[in-house]
Amino acid sequence: MAKRLVLRMDYCIGCRSCEAACQSRFKHEARVRYAEVTPDAYFPLSCRHCAEPLCMAACPFEVIRKDPDTGIVSRSSFHCVGCRSCVLACPFGVMDTYLLRSTSQKCNLCSDRAGGPRCAASCPTGALQYVEESELKEVKTGVGIAARSVHWRRP
Amino acid sequence: METRKTTCPFCLNGCTSAVVFDGYQYRMEYPSEAEVNRGRLCPRGNSASIVIDHPKRLAYPLLDGRAISWDEAANLVRGWRAAVRPEQVALVYSRGRGEDEVRRLFGLAREIGTKHVVCGHIEPENALGCRLEGTKDATLADVEFAKAMLLVGDVFNTSPVAVWRMLDARYADRKNRLVVIDSVRTRQSGFAHSFIQVRPGTEPLAMVALAALLDKNIKADLDKLATAAGVARGQLEAAAAMLAPAVPGFVGVAAHFGRVFHPLLHSLAGQLVAKAAGKPFVGFRETSLPPGGEDFTALRAALKAGEVRLLFWTGGMYPDSYAEVFPEAARAEYRVATSIFVPDPPVPGLVLPVTAELERAATASTYWGPASREPLAPPLSGSRDFGRVVELLGTAAEADLPARVEHKPAAVVEMAHKAAGLKRGGEGVLLLGEKKAIGLRGFYEPEDRLALNPTDAGSLGVDGDSFVRVTSPVGARDFGVLVSGQIPAGTATVGTNVHENRALFPLAVDEVSGMTTVAPVNVKIEKLASRVQAPSEHAPDRRGARYMLH
Repeated sequence: MAKRLVLRMDYCIGCRSCEAACQSRFKHEARVRYAEVTPDAYFPLSCRHCAEPLCMAACPFEVIRKDPDTGIVSRSSFHCVGCRSCVLACPFGVMDTYLLRSTSQKCNLCSDRAGGPRCAASCPTGALQYVEESELKEVKTGVGIAARSVHWRRP
Repeated sequence: METRKTTCPFCLNGCTSAVVFDGYQYRMEYPSEAEVNRGRLCPRGNSASIVIDHPKRLAYPLLDGRAISWDEAANLVRGWRAAVRPEQVALVYSRGRGEDEVRRLFGLAREIGTKHVVCGHIEPENALGCRLEGTKDATLADVEFAKAMLLVGDVFNTSPVAVWRMLDARYADRKNRLVVIDSVRTRQSGFAHSFIQVRPGTEPLAMVALAALLDKNIKADLDKLATAAGVARGQLEAAAAMLAPAVPGFVGVAAHFGRVFHPLLHSLAGQLVAKAAGKPFVGFRETSLPPGGEDFTALRAALKAGEVRLLFWTGGMYPDSYAEVFPEAARAEYRVATSIFVPDPPVPGLVLPVTAELERAATASTYWGPASREPLAPPLSGSRDFGRVVELLGTAAEADLPARVEHKPAAVVEMAHKAAGLKRGGEGVLLLGEKKAIGLRGFYEPEDRLALNPTDAGSLGVDGDSFVRVTSPVGARDFGVLVSGQIPAGTATVGTNVHENRALFPLAVDEVSGMTTVAPVNVKIEKLASRVQAPSEHAPDRRGARYMLH
């Protein structure tokens, strides 16, 4: 069963621990970044692992692949030539090119760690959660609150 | 692969953190069975693996910035010790030293025969260790099942992992209430049901006024305190209704670098309002050190008068940030400091490498009680255990610490009235320190942006693409600009994780308690045509090209 990363916006305090956990693992190439929509609305940006990834379609060397079992969209850093096609194709703007190595960076949901992504494990308030797809509807994400008003008020 | 667990030393929440060494590098791990944090870690906690194998770790003694051997260093220290009289030696301990190590320093001071054994952790947060008579400490259950919470200062950025219990409690019932008192509209205030924005540094005045509303036995001039804090009395009355003594909850107070004028009053006022509201108290801070045998203000006077010739400083911001802001240190003929990182820029005197907190076993004190701390990694080769460094000066065993003073509620009200009568002003913009949980020493962010109110930005003619030079009485630094309505007019904020920003704040003496502290400071802000930027912490070589234009 595939698992997904979910953000409960009511709990995000914008501390950037997700970014720090990712940086400490990937040595200053954070795959999660921090977005500030309004002074009161902020959340981490990370790969959505789309059902039909545009980055994968745009990659000229088929370096980006989607695992049919886990749903994880991953990239082979060995074959990447740093052409930035995926960076331009990503509709969420979550991919970037790491300048020193000239290769794109890509979240793989910490597939090397049995307990799931480090960003979710380290989230101080439990705003980021790694849950089964079947449990997705049960998680109150708080998106509705944010959508109703730009300057949203918490319940 | 071996996993080692310990109690995180970067604040007093007592989170369990862990690292895995895979034979090549240290990686963070998140043990989910820990009661306090369930595997969760803030950005500072996530810095543990970086501290252990950071390329800037100090692995050899430095004399005036030049590497020397341990034998040479030991001979120097012994020679300097023999060259001065016992009363001319000063021992200063600061952030990073455990209570056992402080006891050892007290024993050493007794053996040497000097009265100068001083706590150098002069950041306002250390005053949160001071006690008011009858204060009750909060437990994890008090936070978890709270129905009314009062947070003062930016608690969310001081101990982010303590926050999940608060947010769970806040959302558990629609009737539960969170009150926040702060001078800046921080992210924490976005979660509050009632946000009381006060004038910078006047949080204790609002707290004493709130205490007087909650407990009729506390006689305070409400109107005088509310006016000085810039708060409407009605807002305080609404908050007092939310925090009624019958409702279970807690009071949490944080005090930040460069945000507080009266640290002792700040701490005691928090405890007074907790007592008046019948709630337990927790002082959120990164470290807690016992008071010294002598006050830091007295040490500065002794240095100025030439009464101290050998200064031994261990832990904290010296030699990194204090080199500029603590000019009295230069009056000491012989200076010995300990450090875990290479001081940048180099400082005069002897700097000895010691093992990091993460590399030694200790008993850690946390908000929720004592916890044991195991080493996460073996000591860095070339560094020495603190005990062995102290042996260079003497071999004394640990000695008892002086008993903490318990303050009386009436004295707190008197201090608040005195503080309310003080006039503040000065030219320029008031620079406030901003607490950010984004890691240590700029590991994750260089903190090179100055946050300005839109009105002030307009009058300076700057916007989000501009660069400015901030000049304080003790230093200057160039910043990018962040225009934000969250910042009160007439003030500006900078993050205080990086030493370059800390060095903008001069040492100040609190007019109410006489304690040396780091208070907000009036600075001059000038618009720059282009920017001269110091390279980041991770630049390959900071010494080769210290500044580059871009």
